Amino acid sequence: MALTVDNISKNFGGVYAVREVSLECQRGEILGLIGPNGAGKTTLMNLITGVSPSDSGTVMLDGKRLNRLSPRKRAYAGVARTFQNIRLFEHLTVRQNVEVAFTSSEFHRARQASRITIDRLLDQMDLLEMADRPAPNLPYGYQRRLEIARALALAPDYLLLDEPAAGMNRLESTALIDSVRFIRDEHGCGIIVIDHDLRFIMNVCERIAVLHMGELIALGTPEEMRNDPRVIEVYIGAQDNNGEAATPAPRPSPSDGETTVERPT
Amino acid sequence: MDSGRPRRRLWHVEGARTLRSVRGATIIAAFAVGIGLLIMLFGEPYQVRLAVAAYINLILVLGLQIFMGNANVANLAHPGFMGLGAYLTSIFAVPLVIKKTLIPNAPFGLGEVQLGVVSSFVAAVSITGIIAALTGLVLVRLSGIAATILTLAILVIIHGVFVHWVDLFRGTQAFYGIPKVAGIETMMIATALVILVARLFKDSRIGVQLRASATNMLAAEAMGVNIRALRLIAWVLGGVVCGIAGALYAYYLGTVNARAFYFHAAFLTLAMHILGGMRSVTGAVVGVALISVAMELIRHLESGPVILGAQLPDLFGLGSLMLGVIIVLVMCLRSDGLMGGLELDEVLDRHWKRWRRGG
Repeated sequence: MALTVDNISKNFGGVYAVREVSLECQRGEILGLIGPNGAGKTTLMNLITGVSPSDSGTVMLDGKRLNRLSPRKRAYAGVARTFQNIRLFEHLTVRQNVEVAFTSSEFHRARQASRITIDRLLDQMDLLEMADRPAPNLPYGYQRRLEIARALALAPDYLLLDEPAAGMNRLESTALIDSVRFIRDEHGCGIIVIDHDLRFIMNVCERIAVLHMGELIALGTPEEMRNDPRVIEVYIGAQDNNGEAATPAPRPSPSDGETTVERPT
Repeated sequence: MDSGRPRRRLWHVEGARTLRSVRGATIIAAFAVGIGLLIMLFGEPYQVRLAVAAYINLILVLGLQIFMGNANVANLAHPGFMGLGAYLTSIFAVPLVIKKTLIPNAPFGLGEVQLGVVSSFVAAVSITGIIAALTGLVLVRLSGIAATILTLAILVIIHGVFVHWVDLFRGTQAFYGIPKVAGIETMMIATALVILVARLFKDSRIGVQLRASATNMLAAEAMGVNIRALRLIAWVLGGVVCGIAGALYAYYLGTVNARAFYFHAAFLTLAMHILGGMRSVTGAVVGVALISVAMELIRHLESGPVILGAQLPDLFGLGSLMLGVIIVLVMCLRSDGLMGGLELDEVLDRHWKRWRRGG
């Protein structure tokens, strides 16, 4: 029972965004994905969710090949995600945002009927009180939590979080650590999480994969990653001993993965 | 049936929510029908005729709202579907004697067929729905500008068929002899029902998912929304409502001409839709009411009236100019329209709450 990426590659105009990456996330595992800007983290997430097609390699979900499926069918198959640049449904309320995912997949994701209700999801993400407010009116941190609640409404087997702690203060990101752990325990899904906030990643993940220039350069426990010379060289270089980034975490630039696959609506 | 798996309930809306939608629709319909009742009671006969025209336009705009307002794809084909509803109703309902002189060479043996008023209506609206479904199968494969251009092409094609298929539609000559069975009462009832349909659709699961896809297509796909299927449903339902507008038009005027279902109608109703606010059913009512009144005032101005003893010059074309100006102004100043996506009941509830809280 795992989400497996095997030897996957993607290049944009001759430049490899992701190159021959193989990775596996077990159900019930929290896997971190880190790397400097432009390392290919979001591109990898887009390849897994089908937002952009891969050039080569396979994506398998519990032994089922996902390669040819559309993002919608991959959602039905059990992969849900959040977006780095928040993509809520603007004109809808908080509850309706969750409802869209909940109802669209109801037929395909039979489990959710017994296990999940919209109110429970909102409650778990501390959104119940603001359920009837328009989604864009939420504070930033809550918008990120709503993205997670919405993804969970698909009753996913694997949840992909693209920078869930971005823009959160220390208090909020600490609360998010508990939430992510709770989601894993409650919903039993495998979670892949991308973030630049190393304190958050080191605390929440059981294993961490490090991407650099589209290639997977290291994979292991947070402790191993902290001491891995290759990782220190390319990414954590300017860091002190207790896992805190000495320099502020770089923010996503407009050239980062997701924006390159923007589609007209 | 395999247990454990929930049945697909796309149309399902929970009881309390359905009730809210019905309540909202009732308030909007009361507003729309109330204006008509006042005109019926106190208005001159020509004002009643204007009200009937406004109701037909309102049903057409509601047909537009069901697709365009929820899916956020600009649509220009709606007068074409209205025309289909009107012509098909005429073809079925015109008495055989008149039909022999109108379309002596009618294909499919239609020259020998005469249906009752209700059957003609049902048949015409059903066929319009089928044609909408066929065009929709192509339309939902496109998005953005390509989709809008396709709707334009659909309008031109339908108009071309009206004008050139002389054996069936009489070309540019008018189709007449249709029983004039619809009055302002029929229009008010039909309008109320269509408002209910539009509001229930908007609040249904399909409506909510469709509106989600309209604001963020990428996220909607990732959340499992089947955008094409939902757009097709909205397109067909919208087409059917436009067909109803056409059928009522034929039953009111008793005569039908292809010119009424072309660009002028498209832009007039589009301006109404945009002014009121595309995302709101109430917006359709507001837009139609305001522009109908304004167009009538302008019609007086166009013919150079005498105001305070001063003879104003003729200003023909002022109406079309104003429609253009309205579209430009709304797009620049308030692209969400006057209602901005809100419904009348929501506005009233908000004021009621504020009044109770703070006096």
